[in-house]
This record gives sequence, structure tokens and C-alpha cells, in this order.
Amino acid sequence: MAGGTAISGARAGLIALLSPAYLWLTAAIFLPLSAMLFFSLVTELPFGGAEWAFTLENYRAFFETPTYATLLWKSVRLGLIVTVVCLLVGFPCAYVLAKAIRGRAREALFLLVILPFWSNSLVRIFSWAIVLRGNGVLDLGLNALLPFEVDVSLMFTTHAIVIGLVHSYLPYVILTSYLALQAIDDNLIDAARSMGAGKPTILWRLVLPLSLPGLVAGAVLIFVPVVGAFMEPRILGGRVGTYYGTVIEDQFVAVYNWPLGAALSFILLAVVLFILAVASPMLKRAQA
Amino acid sequence: MLARLGKVWLGLILVFLYAPILVMAAMSFNASPYYQLPFEFTVEWYEKLSENRGILRAAARSVGIAMVTTVIATVLGTAASLALFRYEFRGKAVLRVLLFPPIAIPWLITGTAMLVFFFGIGLGRGTPAVIVGHVALALPYVIVVVTARLATFDPTLEEAARVLGAGGWTVTRRVTLPWIAPGIIAGALFAFAISFDQFVVSYFLSEPGDSTLPVVIYTAIRKGFTPEINAVSTLIIVVSMAVMLVAARFSNFGGER
Amino acid sequence: MARVSVEGIVKRYGTVAALDEVSLDFEDGGLFALLGPSGSGKTTLLRAIAGFVFPDRGRIRIGDQPVERVPVEKRDIGMMFQNYALFPNMSVADNVGFGLRVRKVGAAEERRRVGEALELVQLEGFGGRKPHELSGGQRQRVALARAIVTNPRVLLLDEPLSALDKALRVDMQFELRRIQREIGITTILVTHDQEEALTLSDRIGILRDGRLVQAGPPREVYNAPADLFAATFLGEANILPGGGAGIVVPEGVAPGAVLAVRPEAIAMTRTEPEGAGLSKCVGVLERRVFAGAMATCLVRREDGGEMKVVSRDQDIPAGLTEGDRLWLSWPVDKTLAIPPEG
Repeated sequence: MAGGTAISGARAGLIALLSPAYLWLTAAIFLPLSAMLFFSLVTELPFGGAEWAFTLENYRAFFETPTYATLLWKSVRLGLIVTVVCLLVGFPCAYVLAKAIRGRAREALFLLVILPFWSNSLVRIFSWAIVLRGNGVLDLGLNALLPFEVDVSLMFTTHAIVIGLVHSYLPYVILTSYLALQAIDDNLIDAARSMGAGKPTILWRLVLPLSLPGLVAGAVLIFVPVVGAFMEPRILGGRVGTYYGTVIEDQFVAVYNWPLGAALSFILLAVVLFILAVASPMLKRAQA
Repeated sequence: MLARLGKVWLGLILVFLYAPILVMAAMSFNASPYYQLPFEFTVEWYEKLSENRGILRAAARSVGIAMVTTVIATVLGTAASLALFRYEFRGKAVLRVLLFPPIAIPWLITGTAMLVFFFGIGLGRGTPAVIVGHVALALPYVIVVVTARLATFDPTLEEAARVLGAGGWTVTRRVTLPWIAPGIIAGALFAFAISFDQFVVSYFLSEPGDSTLPVVIYTAIRKGFTPEINAVSTLIIVVSMAVMLVAARFSNFGGER
Repeated sequence: MARVSVEGIVKRYGTVAALDEVSLDFEDGGLFALLGPSGSGKTTLLRAIAGFVFPDRGRIRIGDQPVERVPVEKRDIGMMFQNYALFPNMSVADNVGFGLRVRKVGAAEERRRVGEALELVQLEGFGGRKPHELSGGQRQRVALARAIVTNPRVLLLDEPLSALDKALRVDMQFELRRIQREIGITTILVTHDQEEALTLSDRIGILRDGRLVQAGPPREVYNAPADLFAATFLGEANILPGGGAGIVVPEGVAPGAVLAVRPEAIAMTRTEPEGAGLSKCVGVLERRVFAGAMATCLVRREDGGEMKVVSRDQDIPAGLTEGDRLWLSWPVDKTLAIPPEG
């Protein structure tokens, strides 16, 4: 009955309130994404009277040059590694926060964990460069503590990239897992214990399945941006830091082959959309 | 026993999250330009920073862009949230789903797509393009935060105000906005943080020589590290964490109050 | 003050008719209760009069003004909501004064009228409090003061007392009645509580599935229900077999009518009662439930039907226990003859 609120000119009010935001999103997100599809299908940029024609050449380049596919696979693998590490590290942390700590301490610790997530990711990657570089703080610190000489030159390795990315995206998985875990009624766990279930059983049969939507949401939130990462590999990876994302970056800022860049971006978008589609049933549950 | 182990784990994670930031901050006060130890305190790099016009200009531009973005995204986002809250209409679910692409699609893709499109329509690169991009990225966050606050608002309050003779704008101003004000403030702070910290989209959309602070830092890092960058990075971290702490107070983020 | 009338209004949601050709007159200065189960359309009718729902067809008049197309804020009505809907960010005085400020009456006038309204609801001196600092009953009074302070033409009450506990609710019923009489405002009340409807109102209207079943003074509706639904919704009714031994069919009853009797009209005796104009039957006491001043007894008739009897404890024959045989009797003129359905 409450839904039947009707005012004269309701439609006008609705449109006036809603359209500015969605027109903006259309102009800045949805039209550009469509434009990119168009650009990925032309030979030359159709600016300044340049000759152009429709072509599938840019996509053929992807499929005929093994480098691109190799790099895409390298990026996907990096995404998987970072996601798995984040889940393994972050879920226990979220569990402790949600179930072992109470009151104001929990609130403060939770804030402390997710605070870096809202600070500048570029600066945080840079801070790792300071720590990890040869003769850097980690190097000096370990050598001061250990009786023997070690050379931990992690900088410009895949390890450095993984560490930096885990640092960047760990708060995501902690956030989503924490929210999912917090929603689990403690009575359920007590009920399971009253039926004689041990801790491993409770974790495996009850807590994990119930928090799965949160875990999946966290995994997607990490995997998707990591596959498209370019700044982190550039800073922390040096010469080993060539990934699918950095190749796209090059097309736009160094090589100026925009149609190829657009095609590569669009293939990445396809991968991303595929991942989102596969995960969407779980994500819907995580939202609820 | 297990609980204690868990707390140790949590402590280790906090160390992992904060140690590099603290190291970076410490190094910005270290005299050696090559990050050599032992540590010798100096504010030399901050003095140098205060004379570096390129970085200062970029910082001013970043703050300006963030403020414009905040105002536009907050106004448009709040309006859209009110519409989504007040009206039942077909396609509402679709509109809600449409908020996710700007959040879920990697910024590399949105950034390059914006670059291509803005060139196509003649907007090109530069500060206006950056603002258009930032607002689009911040809008969904504002809508999500304000909508969350609206969910705690009792719609009969609006009906009560109308019965008493208040028209649409009076109802909004006197009854609805006061209640959702904390959500709007939190949304505005989120928008500010998103714009101020945004690197990827700014990177593709700024004109060389006319860039935002993160882009200037990125370019500088690729040439080599200097303690001046430490100094400015430390300042950025302090600013954005402070903004988010305030936002967290208003948005009741993660708390159970 | 004004009289309100609705005429043939229809409101559909999809294929469901929330209101189906409802016509009603609400007299000037009267208190009218709309009664019905949830989903009966009573709230939709109230919201249509308020202006939150625009009917698909039909007329609504407040005074002589047709208002079907007038938005809520222009209708000059007062309304009290089930949850009171007090503005949490405003003090009691600002809540009560909201409608006056919208009408731009001026600060002095606003202060004076807010003071009067708070006095009327016996909340002098509470103006500076915030709603969350008040008890449930006090909030209810503030909501009432806010609804009447603008001297609206009609006062609409949507389940105004349902959030209060029983003792407070009874107090507030009297209070509401006193204030309504004092200012003489046309009042329309929606409730699902039949007792509340009977206590408060001059007239009631019973709705079911979007249709008006019956309207009239409470006593009239109670004593002569228009159909079986009205009989069982307003009070309880024992349905009687179509004239058995001892059960007298009153004169002039239409063929096909259902006979019924209210539980409190029945007397219980151990021996057959004497006297003219009595209907009577025999049964076995199955259960006796003590409930303070009154007791409820369930009696199984010889033909298998069950009868409910509500009686003062001292009126029940001494020593009557479950399993005892007894006589039930009631005056023939207390027999309800309910017209056949359709």
C-alpha cells in the first residue's frame, strides 16, 4: 500500500534528480567503453582527416603475436597468485577480528586494517621500493640482526611485485570476509558445538561455506585490478615488470598505437567481464 | 591458545601494512639522499619540497581537482540516491547495477577508454577531462554511501511533513537532508579521497606538464628515487588517512553503533 | 472543520483492487473508525483521503472542495502516523510548530499556538525536549499536537495507538476522545482493533477486500451485522443451526438467513429456564477459562456444534465443572439474523 505514493509531476522529479548522475556516467564511462570497441576495429585514428577503415587487424595481432597472449597469461597468473596469497593471509585475520576481538578494540583494529586501502596506492608501492631495494632498509635491518651476511635484493623481482600488490589489495579481502563473518550468528557456532562438532569441523562445514560469498567478492575485487596492473610492475619489477597492463600503457603513452591499445584493452575487458559473470551469483549473495 | 596465535597474526599483518609507510616517512627525515643509515634527522627535504614549484603546482592542482570533483559528485550522487530511494519505477534494478562498472572495471581500461573517447569528441586531455573522469569514478561511491544512510531513514517522516503542508523542496531541506547529512559528508570525503589519490585515470587524462600530484610522483619515481618524493608521499599519506578517518566517523563504516 | 465524503472510489494495483467502489460520508465533527483485517483497503482509503494515493476513479470531497487531484500538502489536513513520524532532528516545539512555520504564521503566533497545543495534550514544558527523550505515550501526544495545531479541516489517524501497551492504550483512547470532542474536528481513524473502534467512534465502517461491508453507529453494526463477516469481525458470534428444538427463529427473518448469538448474550443454568421469548438448548461444558472478572466457557451442543459463552464469574451456576450438562438460553430478540451472502 505504501508503494502507491503518487504525486503530480512525480516523473519530472524523478528525472530531474536521477538524470544528471546517470548522464555523467554515460558520458564518462559507458560511451568511452563503447568508443573503445569502435577504435579497436579501425586501422587509423579517424582524427584530423586521417584515412581509416574497419579492420580486425588489431585483434589478429593479439592472436598471431604470441607475446600478447603470453603476457596476458602472465598477468592472469600474477592475479591468481596475489589473490590466493591475499585470501590465505587475510581470511584468518578477518576471522580473528570478527570472532576473537570485541568492542571498541575491534572497531579500532578494523579501521586500522582498512585505512591503508583508502590511501594512495602509488605512494604505498613507492614505500615498498624504499624498503626492498638493494642496500635498502630490509637488507640493512636483516644484516644487523643476523650473524651472517645475507643479500636480500628483492627489488626488481616478481617477489617484489607480489609483495607490493598483496600490500595494496589485502584490505579488500579482509573487509569482505569480515563483513561476511560478522553476519554469521554466534548461536550457529554454539549450536554446532552443542552437537559435538570440533573446531576444524565448524570451520570447514559451517564458517567457510557461510562466508564463501564474502571470500568470492574479495577474490574478484583483487583479481580484476591485478590483471590490469601496470604501475606496480613498473616500479617494483623493473626489467621483469613487463605485463599485459604495461603493454597497454605503452600503446597509449609511448608507442601511440591507440587502435592496438584499444583492442588489447577490450580483450582485457572481456576477461574481466567473464570473471565477473562467473562470480556474479556469489556476488549477489554477498550483497544480500 | 588459538586465539592468541590469531592475535599475533593480526599484529603481523598490521606491521606488514604499516611498516613500509613508516619507513618511507622516516626516510623523509633522514639526511642521506641515498637512504643510508645510520639515521640522521633533518627537515632538509621538506624545505627543498617547499621550493619545488613543479610539485607544489601539481599539489595545488590535485587539491583543486579533488574539491571540484567532491562538489559535483556529492550533489549529483545525493540527488540520484534520493530518486532511487523515493520512487518505484521500472529499470531501477538496472540503474543500481550500472553503478558497478566504474568500481569493478580496472582503471586501466576505463582510463584508456576515456582518453580515446575524449579525444574523439574534442575534449582531449587536461584538467577538465580529469575532472570528468574523477567525478564518474567517485559518483558510485557517493551513491552507495548515501543510499546506505537513506536506508535508515523512515519515509513516513516525509509524508508527515507533506501532510503539514510542506512542499517537495521544504521536505527535502528540513526533514530528509538533516537526517542523511552524515552520509552526505562521508560520501563527500570518499569522493575527495578517490580524486586526490587517483593515479591511473589522471595519468592517461592529464596533459604533460599539467599533471596531478600522483602523476608527477610516478614520473619522478621512474627517473630515480629522491627523499623529496618521500617527503611529499608522506604528506599525501597523512592527508588521505586523515580524510578517511573523518569519513569513517561519519559513515559508521564497519562499526556497530 | 468540514465534512468529508468519498464517492465510488476505485484504486487498483495491477489486477488487485485495493479499493473497489467505496462510498462513504464522514460527518462534520464526528469520529469515524475504519475497521478491517490487513489488506482490506482501510489504510488505502485513509491514504487516498490524505492524498498519498490518487484513486483511479471516484470523487473525494473535503468540505465542498473536490480534492482527488490536490497534492497532500495543499489539502489542509492533520495526520497521525502509526510510528508517530516525529522529526528526530527537531525539538518537540519545532515538531509541533513545523506546519505553522510552513504556513509562515510568524514567530510569536507560532509560539503561542504551539504552547496551546502542548497544553491541550498535557505536555506543557516539554517543548525543548528531543523526541528520543520522550516515552511512547508522550510521543503519541506530541504527534497529536502536531497534527491539530494548524486547525486542519480533518484529522486522519493511522493506527494511532497500536504501538502502546494495553494500559496506556486505554488511557489514550479516552484522552483522544476528549481532545477530539473539545476541538470538534472531523476525525477518521484506521484500526484493526475492534475494541478501539467501539470505544472511540461515533460511526464505524467495516471493509473487506477493498469493499465497504457495512457502515453505521457501532451499536447498530454490532446488533445487526450486514453479513457473516461483519458479525464475526466485530465481536464474536455463535452460529446456530437453522432452527432446532428450543431455538426460536425471530419473526420476519428472510429465508436463507443465518442465525447467530453473541457469547455475552447467553445465560447458563443447570435446569431448563422458564419464561417466554427465550431460545434455549442443551450442552456439555467442555472448558472453562478464568480471565479476571469474566469467564469464557466452551459448551458442546447436543447436535455437535460448539458454543462460546462469556459471562461474569458470579453468574455461572455454583460448582459447575467441565463435563457437566447444562442449559444455554438467550432472549429471542438477541438472536442475530444475518442476511445470506451475495
